[in-house]
Amino acid sequence: MSKYIIRRVIGLIPLLFGIILVSFFLMKLAPGGPQAQFNQNPRVTEAQIDVWLKRWCLERESTPLSVIREFGGWLGVYNCTTESLLSESGGLNFLPAALGGGDNGILHGDLGLSIKAGRPVTDMITERIPATLLLTITALVIWVFLAVVLGVIAAVKRYSVFDQTLTFFSYVFYSLPTFWLGLMFIFVFAVLLRWLPPQGIVTPREWPPFNSENYWAAFGAAPLDAILDIGKHMILPVLVLVLVSIAADSRFVRASMLETLNQDYVRTARAKGLPKRKVYMKHAFRNAMLPVVTNVGLELPFLFSGAIVTETIFSWQGMGLLFITGVNDRDYFILMGLILITSTLVVVFNLVADVVYAVVDPRIRYD
Amino acid sequence: MSEYNRALEPTAQPAPRVAAAEEEGGGGGDYEVSLESLNQWQLAWRRFKRHRLALIGAGVLLVMVSMAILGPIIWPYDPTRIPGVSQPGGDPPTLESFDRIFGTDFGGRSVLQFIVVGARISVAVGFFTALIATTIGVTIGALAGYFGGRVDNVLMRFVDLLLAIPFLFVILVAARFFGGGDPVTLILIFGLLSWPGLSRLVRALFLSLREADFVQAARAVGVSDLRITFRHILPNTLGPVVVSSTLILANAIVLEAFVSFLNFGIRATDVSWGNALSNSKGFLLQGNWWWPFFPGMVLAMTVIAVNFLGDGLRDALDPRSKES
Amino acid sequence: MTTTYSSGVAGSRPPASDVLLEIRDLRTHFHVMDGVVKAVDGVSFGIRQGETLGVVGESGCGKSVTALTIMRLLDTPPAEIDPDSEIWFNGRNLLTLSEEQMRAVRGNDIAMIFQEPMTSLNPVYTVGDQIAEAVSLHQRLSPKAAWEKAVDSLKAVGINTPERRAKQYPHELSGGMRQRVMIAMALSCDPKLLIADEPTTARDVTNQAQILELIRKVQDETGAALMLITHDLGVVAETVKDVVVMYAGRVVETGTVDDVLMSPKHPYTEGLIASIPSKEKRGERLNVIRGTVPNPFNMPVGCNFAPRCPYRFGPCADHDPRIEDASPPDVACWLYTPAPGSPVPPRTRARSTGSTT
Repeated sequence: MSKYIIRRVIGLIPLLFGIILVSFFLMKLAPGGPQAQFNQNPRVTEAQIDVWLKRWCLERESTPLSVIREFGGWLGVYNCTTESLLSESGGLNFLPAALGGGDNGILHGDLGLSIKAGRPVTDMITERIPATLLLTITALVIWVFLAVVLGVIAAVKRYSVFDQTLTFFSYVFYSLPTFWLGLMFIFVFAVLLRWLPPQGIVTPREWPPFNSENYWAAFGAAPLDAILDIGKHMILPVLVLVLVSIAADSRFVRASMLETLNQDYVRTARAKGLPKRKVYMKHAFRNAMLPVVTNVGLELPFLFSGAIVTETIFSWQGMGLLFITGVNDRDYFILMGLILITSTLVVVFNLVADVVYAVVDPRIRYD
Repeated sequence: MSEYNRALEPTAQPAPRVAAAEEEGGGGGDYEVSLESLNQWQLAWRRFKRHRLALIGAGVLLVMVSMAILGPIIWPYDPTRIPGVSQPGGDPPTLESFDRIFGTDFGGRSVLQFIVVGARISVAVGFFTALIATTIGVTIGALAGYFGGRVDNVLMRFVDLLLAIPFLFVILVAARFFGGGDPVTLILIFGLLSWPGLSRLVRALFLSLREADFVQAARAVGVSDLRITFRHILPNTLGPVVVSSTLILANAIVLEAFVSFLNFGIRATDVSWGNALSNSKGFLLQGNWWWPFFPGMVLAMTVIAVNFLGDGLRDALDPRSKES
Repeated sequence: MTTTYSSGVAGSRPPASDVLLEIRDLRTHFHVMDGVVKAVDGVSFGIRQGETLGVVGESGCGKSVTALTIMRLLDTPPAEIDPDSEIWFNGRNLLTLSEEQMRAVRGNDIAMIFQEPMTSLNPVYTVGDQIAEAVSLHQRLSPKAAWEKAVDSLKAVGINTPERRAKQYPHELSGGMRQRVMIAMALSCDPKLLIADEPTTARDVTNQAQILELIRKVQDETGAALMLITHDLGVVAETVKDVVVMYAGRVVETGTVDDVLMSPKHPYTEGLIASIPSKEKRGERLNVIRGTVPNPFNMPVGCNFAPRCPYRFGPCADHDPRIEDASPPDVACWLYTPAPGSPVPPRTRARSTGSTT
């Protein structure tokens, strides 16, 4: 088993490198490059731009060699201060700092500086991860659970009123644009009924900004109130994510379960005299869940895409909103960092899904 | 609803054969099973006609497409004309005047006109994105599936990579950096990024069809590779590909709306269903619901219609599905 | 000896105590979008305690549906079992039992061996688990005792190192081994009736012989009755004593294997036997039955076999021959039945082909 996991992890290395390449070149290909922002500003001198570029480990010209140096700098192999593969302390730059390496680049956990905020991108993203994971993981757990329950019931009671109602609603919610559904929920539940706050993670003025030091101090003082406050803010965005995702997934679970119910071994189980319930839950369910595990793994990229949508609509201060701000400001390093981190998370989650699959399905060979 | 058929599996009923009793002439003629002989397109059309929801979907789409073609002609939109409003945030829907039937935006512009005029860009984005993505997806998938080996390996690793990166992130970056508010560029961006899922599907279909008995049979009688691909394999991928394309179409329409809603999509001087509601959120909090509501409803209706149509086409084009 | 029953005569009274299973006028129809498929349409036959019966026919003739109806494993709808049909087993009409009571019969009194051992075993549980499951369900044994019983039954079907095999998953076993597991599973609760549905179809010839030999052996040892469903007359000849020939949802001929195979009465049976290749016929053109099974949605008005029948005459096209009207009632054919309106059987058929096996 552990051998299987190690083999899979090694297999991921080219993919991760590809992600690094793509996120780098996506930015490199953008017209003008980061220094384009100074084009309109006559007070910025060429010398100042050079200093500025140097700080971000960028170069003015765009020759193949300079691009490789920039990429090397971003990756952490090349050191822009010494302008060589060696670090200031003289060791090879890609080694960890403790072994005489440098401290720049992805290999050292450095994703560069935000052009707009001037702060390390790594810090800015790390700050936003809890908010996004809180939203997406909560939604994921609820929707997968509900999709499985609803889908299995619909399959077992095929063509019943329940099944047809579920089919109808999944069609509707599957087709509704997520962002529009969010807007309408805000209008109905926050503006019209005033049951729930329209946006944000915490109530402003009552609580400090989420995930700040003050916030955790306030959280420690009154944890129950804090959780209630966040919970209140979470309901609408989670509801939106759950509704649109459940629509597609419950259909998938239903189809998978129906497929399994038609298998010969289900008939064998019934021929043994097992009660229907046990046949469904023991013999059909586990087999039906195999494709569902894979499907959930494949859906994970959409989790982050969904986060962008809900976070912008509900002003949820997570990675998605940071990304939108970054796109607005053309803040290259934030965008590169976010694409890199979310893609890596997707790859890791996919690996987890594969391992889960291997655990549930004895036919997968580990060696 | 093919589940009904599957329930019959234990009997393994042979498919009714047309005019089977004729085999040796004489004798059984009296009982010859007479089914009309129809070609596969006629059969597909027959199955499609029985799919009521798909017909409704096709009808709705027809309305949207005619709106896309005629809308800007019969009701020219002038972005500089701002009629003004009688209440801040926009006038609510009223039956008193035709153009205010869905209310107005904050500048007094008709929401109905946004819908009618915006159809052109929204529908065009959906349609052409689907066209580009399908072309690329089928080509790449067919190449990978047909050649297998190294070609397959390289192409599919690339697809893996594209699928690992959250789609919306790349779309937004590309739209912001390369888009410039131009619908054509936006279509290109969407089209060039929407194909990986489809190519994976086509590859899988190719891999299984390549081993199918009828392809082996064709190969055995010396049919050329090219002819096998175009004559025997591609037509069999049609059903799933069409369904996939309709999904891409629906997604592209929603995607355009969202990207434009964020102001990264279609420039403000053009109208699409998305940028029609781009500045509506602030006013929504003041109770101005009609502005985002109606364009969004039209959007949702179009997507539902496309999905229904896709379902109908899937059933119609799958030769194994016997009933609607 | 198989017995045929006219419907309604014995109505609702259990058969004699030595008759284990008796099916009376069974009709199982499927309601699908395109219409009604009369998969089983008036079938009657019986099996005595410990006897062996073969049910023969082409695929689609209704033999598997008959078996699944006995087990009540068909989903209703789309299937519909005629309320006047009766399936007497061990003195009880199975069709009147509650689902609860029926569960106690399935796997315990009647066990079934399915055609495809590859797909008939659940891929995510070990074979031992799957056998022990039935044992602990019906015999209320502890998990450990049930497991031991499972290992014992694997041993009984000739699997070496049963302790090790029991812990393996179906995909780790060979096809023949999986079929043995299916048989072990069926035997594990000492059933009174064993229904084997095409148990050898997917196997090669050597394997086929071994599996048949095994089924016969365990049937002999346990004293269970055997109902063997197959399309293969060769299998029937080697394995069972009595035979029922089915065509398009009907029983067309019954009798002992020797009678039916040596001197078939029904033209369909005759055709089936003639189409078996044999050494004597080497070099000759193989006889086949012309045409195909009728469209299930569009059955002929008269005799179902008439469109393919070489002896077709007067009444065949418009009148349906009934097996209980024939004398003796062992074949559904106008050649052996008084024609409608005339009290005398038409003629004794002149045999052109003679006996072929």
